[in-house]
Amino acid sequence: MAYLNAPRLIFSGDFLSDVSTVNNDTAHYNNATFQPNFQEFGKGSANGWWNPEGGAVFDFQNCTVQQLALPDGTILSDSSEDILIGRIVSGSEGRPTGKMVDLDPDAQMVSALWCAQLRICTPQNELLLQGDIATTSFRDIQLRQTSGAAVNGQALGASWTSVLTNLVWGEKAENSAFLKILKETTQEDKLALNLNAFGYYYNHAPDGRFSLGRILGSIGPWFKGEPETFAPCRRLYGVLNLKPKNPFVYFGNSNFQVDTAAKMLTIDFGNSFPISDSLGTINTTSTFILGVANNPLSNGASLDIQYLNKSDFIEIGLLDYQAGPDWLNKTGGIVIFENLPEATLQALENRQLVLLSPSATDPTQFGLLARESVDGYLVRADNFVQRIDTGQTNIINFYTYQWGKTLPNATISVSMEAPTPDTPVGPQNPISEIYGNNFPQDGLSYCTSVTTDSDGFGQLSITGNAIHSPRVYLDGQIYTFDYQLPTVDPAFGIENIIVHLRDYYAVPENPVWGDISQTMIQYANLYPIMSKYIVNLANPEDLQLKKNILLFAFSRDINDTMHMPVTRDLSDAKRQTILKWLNNPNMESKTPVFKSDAVSSPENPISPGTPLNEQQMKYKEAVKAKNGSMLSFPEIENPFGNI
Amino acid sequence: MLRLDSKYVQMVESATSLADLHFLFQKAIELEHATIPPYLTAMYSLKPGTNAGPKGIIHSIVIEEMLHMTISSNILNALGGQPVINKADFVPSYPGNLPMGIGGGLIVGIEKFSKDLVKNVYMEIEEPENPIEFKVMLSAEDVTYKTIGEFYAALQKKIGELADDKLPGDPARQVTSNFFPSDLLYPILTKEDAINAINIIVEQGEGTTTSPLDQDGEVAHYYRFEEIYVGKKLVKNPDAPNGFSFSGDPIPFDAASVYPIFPNTKTDMLPEGTEARRRMNEFNSSYYSLLDGLHTAFNGEPGNLDNCIGLMYDIKLYAEKLCAMPFPGKDGYTIAPSFEFISPAEFLLT
Repeated sequence: MAYLNAPRLIFSGDFLSDVSTVNNDTAHYNNATFQPNFQEFGKGSANGWWNPEGGAVFDFQNCTVQQLALPDGTILSDSSEDILIGRIVSGSEGRPTGKMVDLDPDAQMVSALWCAQLRICTPQNELLLQGDIATTSFRDIQLRQTSGAAVNGQALGASWTSVLTNLVWGEKAENSAFLKILKETTQEDKLALNLNAFGYYYNHAPDGRFSLGRILGSIGPWFKGEPETFAPCRRLYGVLNLKPKNPFVYFGNSNFQVDTAAKMLTIDFGNSFPISDSLGTINTTSTFILGVANNPLSNGASLDIQYLNKSDFIEIGLLDYQAGPDWLNKTGGIVIFENLPEATLQALENRQLVLLSPSATDPTQFGLLARESVDGYLVRADNFVQRIDTGQTNIINFYTYQWGKTLPNATISVSMEAPTPDTPVGPQNPISEIYGNNFPQDGLSYCTSVTTDSDGFGQLSITGNAIHSPRVYLDGQIYTFDYQLPTVDPAFGIENIIVHLRDYYAVPENPVWGDISQTMIQYANLYPIMSKYIVNLANPEDLQLKKNILLFAFSRDINDTMHMPVTRDLSDAKRQTILKWLNNPNMESKTPVFKSDAVSSPENPISPGTPLNEQQMKYKEAVKAKNGSMLSFPEIENPFGNI
Repeated sequence: MLRLDSKYVQMVESATSLADLHFLFQKAIELEHATIPPYLTAMYSLKPGTNAGPKGIIHSIVIEEMLHMTISSNILNALGGQPVINKADFVPSYPGNLPMGIGGGLIVGIEKFSKDLVKNVYMEIEEPENPIEFKVMLSAEDVTYKTIGEFYAALQKKIGELADDKLPGDPARQVTSNFFPSDLLYPILTKEDAINAINIIVEQGEGTTTSPLDQDGEVAHYYRFEEIYVGKKLVKNPDAPNGFSFSGDPIPFDAASVYPIFPNTKTDMLPEGTEARRRMNEFNSSYYSLLDGLHTAFNGEPGNLDNCIGLMYDIKLYAEKLCAMPFPGKDGYTIAPSFEFISPAEFLLT
């Protein structure tokens, strides 16, 4: 099961994410109301947030191989055991770095890595292993830092799961026994990769880590038929809320797998173990116990601690972690339980795993921190983030599992979320009207249910229909789909497919500057790094002066790291129009319009200013927490002290 | 006036096979590259949106140095050699001498733009064998040394002597690019191709012996730098003694719009654990990546030149942001990009 399988390599270090932030604010997309100070550093919608001159670079820094796990459960962590240990893990060489971008200002919770590469080299910089990271958007955003985010600004973490493709095994790979085994297990030239990122710096802190975060990586075999952007494994969901009015839980999402033949359970706390600072330091000393519940559990997250008696579960063992700065960074947070007794293995076949902490006051009671999904179900869409042009049909792949095995003939229901209201200008929204999402509802055609086949695999087609600027100044529309099995786990909720459907646009035969000016001015506004250092995108004469490099960048494939626009948010038709104009410039301007025809924008069926429902409100708060506009994260002393 | 260690010209003259010229073209590649970091840094020290005149001139010269580096690499490949771009000794230590003892005692550093720098260093680097005087000119000294032009002339002559019409290198290793016209950058397949291409390098750099213009009518590097120094474009003037004078459009320079970058900044000067040090590491990491990418492009994967174009923009962005960044502990200064050769492994070892 993907990255949790052995042979497995663990690395850790830092990642650089130089994302730009003027575009974190939907209102900044309105050219008519844009002001120069929106490009300046500073908090609030009247500024450009924390990194206005960002250039979307994503890269690995200071990463080294920490541990190797062999199929028999042996862990190697000394370089005398394999030359791979201690080796450098870096990004691309001889070509530009990968990029990290949001889908849209109205879809900031699925930040994606594009065109990133991963290389492992000897100290002499000789290649051991290289692979391209297939485009992947992060999932499972959860709170990591229990002591707030005063230093770095961001207390959340998330996972990117992907596959490494186009593998290159260096000559020196022969000198690593581990790499030889890994190479032998490799199928279809792919390896499974999981990256857990946390401790990201929005702040220009004295430690110099602005725009860096910590990253824990795992690489393992990928097997034919497996999904690529999530691990086909079992999952623990946190059920203990931190604080009233705070949506986060401890131990939010943890992947695990049971290998019955090897009598082994492998669990990954790399994206869930509570840490006290941005570097991955653990300061809790609580006891954590893994067990198998004797009776089904289906509770949702709550402030009230649910307790289990000793007779309610079979104990698997204590979680062997160490407080301090090293454990998470050395092990990746992956813990193995070996030599499981037959009874435990049998119980795990159809009962839920639980994570418990013994009560400080009553030794017969164990507080429930996290439990496996209800009935052991897992359904996920693999390529769940989509960019769709008019007339284009994209296929979403679904996988269903139960107790870690593929679940055949499962029915997944799919529904488009309701339109969200427009937000008029007002005290809370001072710059520009912001238009709602998910309308017109007939913008996308799709089936409302998917049934998986005998391998637990199913597909959904989504076709883009012509839409005409529902968001007026912002191209296209964001649609969110909910998908679910008949049983929805209250501790995890419903997952989504997020689509950016681009506006209908017909490429003019002889485009004039007025056809592309609004698009180019918008890019100039949102990405000051371009206009300040490279080309003033708002100036047609300047565009002509830099025509060669612009043709070069705008004509590159979306999977080329140099593709423009870096945000990959432009429809093919609009991109072709820009290319046409660059090749045959006509400076004529016209009334600023984003659209190519006279069709008026569709009306939002929801009245402006309609209060958001609970789900929409939660989402809005989560976006604020993620993009750095939430004021503070909770500081929790002794998080498990009251159990 | 600019000198070149005459032993390199002697080496050319005493060559008895094309393979004997490989080392010398490698040196030519190194020389063409060596001027790029100082020129670029001076350009980056001019604040964004200011000093468009000097900036444009330096940019045009840097682009041609890149062309010369590419031409030299193509010739080396055509002669059956293999350019080496991604090794530590490819990168000069600044401040210091340029490769091949160019300029004798001329010390070239990585410094902010100034007219004195243009005159005392850049014009020295690009000085022709016999500069033509246009009103204001340095006096010609006795010529008892070899110039870059003579070095290239010797190479031309030797290729003429030793090579068959068709050169032995694999044509698939030749690098071309849409960013250069095909009459300037073309595959070097024959002896004639190589000889013509060397003319491009020399004339773009020095002009011809009778005109400050190259064959395409472009002002040669030396005189373009002189335009910056004088503050006026060099234009045809039938009344002037040599047919040209610095009487064209003014090239204004605003000295207040130059970042006060600390000359020859090194990574070590920046305190560890600071954002400044990290940004410098990111710059040098990108620079290393570019050298590695060029090495790949010039060693059988010409298509990788596209990736190098992307890396050049990355470097530009890192460098310009460094130029704007206050130097920790050095009041009144900002940071110059150091152009140090640091491979990814070294970043972790240090």
